Amino acid sequence: MSVGLTIKGLRKRFGTHEALAGVDLEIRPGEFFTLVGPSGCGKTTLLRCVAGFCWPDAGEISCDGQRLDPLPPHKRNLGMVFQNYALFPHLSVRENVAYGLRARRMPTGAVGQRVEHALQQVRLAHRADGFPGVLSGGEQQRVATARALAIEPRLLLMDEPLSNLDAKLRVQMREEIRRVQRSLGITTLYVTHDQEEALALSDRIAVMDNGRLEQIGEPLQIYRYPATPFVAGFIGHTNFLTGEVVSVAGGQAQVRLEPPAESEEPSGECIITLPAGDLAPGRRVMIALRPERFSLASADTPNSLAGRIEEIMFLGAVTRLRVHTAPGAITVELHGDIGEGFKPGTEVHLTFDGQAATIFEQPRER
Amino acid sequence: MKRPRRSSDPWHAALALSYALLALLIAYPLVRLFAGSLTAEGGGFSLAHFRDFLALRYYRAALEHSLYVGVMVTLLATVIGVVLATAVTRWGVPGKALLRALVVIPLVSPPFIGAYSWILLLGRNGWITNLLDRFHAAGWIGTIYGPKGIILALTLNLYPFVFLMVCASLSSVDPNLEEAAANLGATPWRRFRTVTMPLLTPGILGGALLVFLHTVADFGSAMIIGEDYLVLPTLIYSLFINEMGGEPAMAATASAVLLACTTIVLLVERWYLARRSYVMSGLRREGEREVSRRLRALATILAYGIVGLSLIPSVVVIVTSFFPSSGPIMRPGFSLGNYAAVFQSVPRPMLNSVFLSLVSTILCVLLGVVIGYLLVRRQSRWTAGLDALLMVPFAIPGTVLAVALITAFGARPLLLTGTVAILIVSYVIRRMPYAVRGVAAILHHIEPATEEASVSLGASPWRTFRKITLPLMAPGIVSGAVMTWVQVISEISSTILLYYGQWATMSVVIYQQVMSDNFGSAAATSTLLLAGVFVPLLLFNVWQGGRAAELV
Repeated sequence: MSVGLTIKGLRKRFGTHEALAGVDLEIRPGEFFTLVGPSGCGKTTLLRCVAGFCWPDAGEISCDGQRLDPLPPHKRNLGMVFQNYALFPHLSVRENVAYGLRARRMPTGAVGQRVEHALQQVRLAHRADGFPGVLSGGEQQRVATARALAIEPRLLLMDEPLSNLDAKLRVQMREEIRRVQRSLGITTLYVTHDQEEALALSDRIAVMDNGRLEQIGEPLQIYRYPATPFVAGFIGHTNFLTGEVVSVAGGQAQVRLEPPAESEEPSGECIITLPAGDLAPGRRVMIALRPERFSLASADTPNSLAGRIEEIMFLGAVTRLRVHTAPGAITVELHGDIGEGFKPGTEVHLTFDGQAATIFEQPRER
Repeated sequence: MKRPRRSSDPWHAALALSYALLALLIAYPLVRLFAGSLTAEGGGFSLAHFRDFLALRYYRAALEHSLYVGVMVTLLATVIGVVLATAVTRWGVPGKALLRALVVIPLVSPPFIGAYSWILLLGRNGWITNLLDRFHAAGWIGTIYGPKGIILALTLNLYPFVFLMVCASLSSVDPNLEEAAANLGATPWRRFRTVTMPLLTPGILGGALLVFLHTVADFGSAMIIGEDYLVLPTLIYSLFINEMGGEPAMAATASAVLLACTTIVLLVERWYLARRSYVMSGLRREGEREVSRRLRALATILAYGIVGLSLIPSVVVIVTSFFPSSGPIMRPGFSLGNYAAVFQSVPRPMLNSVFLSLVSTILCVLLGVVIGYLLVRRQSRWTAGLDALLMVPFAIPGTVLAVALITAFGARPLLLTGTVAILIVSYVIRRMPYAVRGVAAILHHIEPATEEASVSLGASPWRTFRKITLPLMAPGIVSGAVMTWVQVISEISSTILLYYGQWATMSVVIYQQVMSDNFGSAAATSTLLLAGVFVPLLLFNVWQGGRAAELV
């Protein structure tokens, strides 16, 4: 019996800074929905508006048909997990988890059962009588989650809940959160600046920048088909190349790549072929290509770029190369061992599948 | 936490009430005080009083004496405090915690008890004077009465301010900084001069400022040991309580001058510190140096010597309270006669002291919690003014406040003079800013998210305040209460002007007993007063595991 969340035309301004510039969002029942974006993009403000700690200048927030925005925060019945957990230091773990139930004047017996159950869900029943100060970071995180879940909230709100943990624990807790969320089927709104975390956890992701939603979609969709250059650059690694459409024929567009603005060296003509889409000759385009879309090839392969290896980084499962080419520096990720004979300075040819490129049209003037 | 504007928010009402209260009890009396000093005999604006003040030797001398004593005590206390702090934190003097606890004793003992005790030892009929007399050597030390006695009593009373603040600064200086300087080739002296010293400046200045403010505001020891060496507070007192009917306008003028001194010093310090930034990002704290055994031994003797010296007054008073006495003559022995006399003649002042301290403490705590919460959690352009108003009492000496209150509330409809309320008002005004500071400091350490978590779990704002905010503030509230109690129960400078009839407090009675050479009763009453100061501190120390030194 999970519920959805609808946000319409949400605006919020702090002085001259527009934190939310009109946000519309529809979160489906039972969904794990993540807001991701750089710091200052408005994702935390959005979450705090839903929680009721921040009052929007305009717009509506409703949950299951009921308007939330006129309600004071303590009447919204939303569970929130804070970035620093905000555990009550003077209360034991058990009392922390019971806090919201006591505030609802639940009978003592029922409180005990509910607390027990919530702590079991996060596998922390054995620490019930400890105080927050003696718990490890991961345990504190789980207490915070149990406390938010104990009140059986309509929604679970999580504000960067893993950012205070070390890398390994972060991955572990990520799975833990996903497991608990799945088993309860509770609609969850999750905020993070870590795009990898967003991809790993979410049913759907909204990428935010400057108070606006740049794109909403499933992780794979966002990664494969970024809607804007910002999304392409923020989610995963991306190489950007710029150029001009020279001709269009038979569903194929010929694009002349240009050297980056700061480059001094003269470069040979570099023409690549891309799916035409609705491109027209003379249009300027920006092409986004993931590092793993490139491969090493010979000079006569179509769509090949001549370059010189600048740096080789062996990262275990993949090897990352930084290759200097005429249209700019390109990061390439190759699976496995690339073999001997490659070192900084080696001349190579890179190729890619035109279908894998994301093409953004650029305004004519520049 | 942002909330919608709703007129029903009780904190808006609290803000308005706080403003009204502070305006009425702080701003208004000061305005009346200045107006009084600027009004000519027959009415109308005039600078005549200030001209007289500077022209007449009698008045000007008091200003000069105040400044002389203030500067001397500040210099001496600063040197002692810095050396002691360095010895204790850096040179490995054993018993660090014990020393830190012991220096609280002189700090909270009323200075007039110290002055009285030095008279017992070094006065005309003092133990040491008489001892030296036997060897015809009394001339060596000269007279203790006058500036020398005031400086001695106050220096030993106030150096712990510098000591504690420099200790705090020293232990927050990351030893890595000095190691980094050494690594970059700086000599020990250069490291001290260019790294350690600048980082200690706020602590030293802060401590020195407190010493100066307390010295120029001191009434009790100047009255008891200063004799005819008048300083500003004693001048104001004698102008006010004059057998010829008093000169309220000159008293107001002298008060304005004294207030100007303290305010200027306070502002200069703020201005100086505001220009520097000392944010420390280090993680390592409190490093003891490898020092030679000889230096450590020397430092140990020095540290215990100084602290021991400053404990003498309290010890002397307590010991002599059990001596048989008649008038100023006390003989070694054991007797409870002094206590019997005290309990027979002055049970009322003891009750008065306890009652007044209790009421003032409760009021300070209540106001401290409300205003502290407003300043931190409801910060706005409206609270900034409140914050500024609260700075004012830090600069007001007790004597000045008493004169201002009498001037402002001496007539209907605001008649408070001659009631017990005026005593409570004066205590609350002077101590409340400390209570507010304490609450604000602890609130800054409580993350707003903790309160938001409570609200998001369904607790109303009021329930959140009761269940989360208040319990988390409790240690700060209790320490504020203990400090208020300690300061109020030993207050004399405003009490002596404001009390009337049966509302004399223990400190007033001690003063009267010393002045009428009733040394035995004075010692017994002082011992009882010291008990009233130390018992709560001791309890707090036990409860908080030895953190009494952090109170001051």
